[in-house]
Amino acid sequence: MNRSSWFLTALTLAATAALVAQEPIPQPRTSGGCPVESKAFYECATTKARAFAALRTRDGHPDLQGYWRSRNNGIAYDVEPGPGSFAVPPTFGEIIDPPDKKIPYLPAARAKRDEIRTKSFEDPQGHCAPSGAPRKNNTLFGWRIIQPKDHVVFLYESMHDYRVIPTDNRKHLPASIKMWHGDPVGRWEGDTLVVDYRNLNGKHWFDMAGNFQSENIHVVERYTMFTPDTILFVATIDDATMYTRPWTLTFSLERNKEPGYYQLEYACHEGERDLQHFTDDTRK
Amino acid sequence: MRPLLIGVTAIMAAAVVATLTAQQAAPRYRPPRLANGKPDFQGVWQVRNTANWNVQAHGGSYKTPAGYGVVVDPPDGSIPYRADALATREKNWASRDTADPLGKCYLAGVPRTMYLPYPLQILQTETEVAILSEYVHTWRWIPLTPLDRIPGYESWMGDPRGRWDGDTLVIETLGHNDQTWFDHAGNFHSDVLKVTERLTRIADDVITYEATMEDAKTFTRPWTIRLSLYRHRDMDRILENECYLYAEEAGKPIRGEHPK
Repeated sequence: MNRSSWFLTALTLAATAALVAQEPIPQPRTSGGCPVESKAFYECATTKARAFAALRTRDGHPDLQGYWRSRNNGIAYDVEPGPGSFAVPPTFGEIIDPPDKKIPYLPAARAKRDEIRTKSFEDPQGHCAPSGAPRKNNTLFGWRIIQPKDHVVFLYESMHDYRVIPTDNRKHLPASIKMWHGDPVGRWEGDTLVVDYRNLNGKHWFDMAGNFQSENIHVVERYTMFTPDTILFVATIDDATMYTRPWTLTFSLERNKEPGYYQLEYACHEGERDLQHFTDDTRK
Repeated sequence: MRPLLIGVTAIMAAAVVATLTAQQAAPRYRPPRLANGKPDFQGVWQVRNTANWNVQAHGGSYKTPAGYGVVVDPPDGSIPYRADALATREKNWASRDTADPLGKCYLAGVPRTMYLPYPLQILQTETEVAILSEYVHTWRWIPLTPLDRIPGYESWMGDPRGRWDGDTLVIETLGHNDQTWFDHAGNFHSDVLKVTERLTRIADDVITYEATMEDAKTFTRPWTIRLSLYRHRDMDRILENECYLYAEEAGKPIRGEHPK
């Protein structure tokens, strides 16, 4: 890690910490009429989804189009439950399986996680890397979903990242092609959008707390609307070289209905031009 | 017999002429269409020219492939700079190896993002168009329905609005910053730039792309480029080009050192 990248990350963390300190994000106890604690949320949203009839696109699938943001209750910082630490607020975690809400690391992987979780400046997101799956939905910014024929497309505000998800269940790219944002291939299972991610380069973290992955990672994301303005998001992560078993997390996605809203540009890497405006005095 | 033969011949000749005329009168390509009848541009596209290096006609030089140039107006193919702006362009040209924003992996801006030597994917619904680039995972979101602009908004990729002019997609983009270049040769603009792009699918595999630049701080008059985007028949999705991350991984970080 070179000095300037560390500095950028530190700035990001400081800004985030300041934001948290000054303007606590309101934390209503429900989302789409369901409690937000992950297990209770999952059970409630699943039940509601069975009785919910979504509006349809021309293709006959649920219409997910519009602006969304995650109701992530701070799990952008740590997917596991935790008491919080420097720049990391307390969270109740988002894992629903295993039941203890902990990532089922193999011993060597857990040791590495414990080591790197103290080095949040190494978080790839602090280097303006696309955040991969499922983390991209965990960021503190929103995104737009559009549904061209046979596709679902996510346009994220954060780092102008995107996902193009073909829903024709096509084959994945050759395994030798590894990418930061992976290769999403989708299909509709009834009213649930199922997205199968492979070809991820494994350099990502799941959060700011050092929870990490390898290039063998396989992610399956599931999106199910359970009210007109709420989506049940579930992701299952599998990697036999990292974890003793597959594990699953969930959280709520909420529609942003602000009139006239559209996403402005989040040019992350270009912010390095501002380094020249900082002096050693600014860092004290 | 003879008058009849002449008559038949005349009818056949007339038919041939009519067929030829019909072909000449209706050579128009009929693009695939969305359900609302608007042309469908969806697919993976890329230019096959060297406009990224220099939008004006140029011979080859170190790390620069030669090219015909894409400026079609003014007719002489040269960008109509104001005198002071031309001096800036000359300065940019001299320092292009280090000063080209793309050398730092910055966002390419409009219109340069459309003629980078990398693929882009167009996706479309009846109310919006998305143009996604491999290069530093860029998206342009173009609403086709009215949407108020945010006054004073300034960005690398601009703030676009789209509409249909017959079968041509017209995109007007304002809200540019003054940091992007049109090419590696140092051709540049100010933050009052307005770009009007016109995309017309003229064949299954070809989009004719035009962009007109207006910027009274930099140019004496509007000027226009025209080029072709070609469809990749063998690519059903774009990959990624994470310029600054690759540099970091290679131990050659783009980001500058913190000043002492």
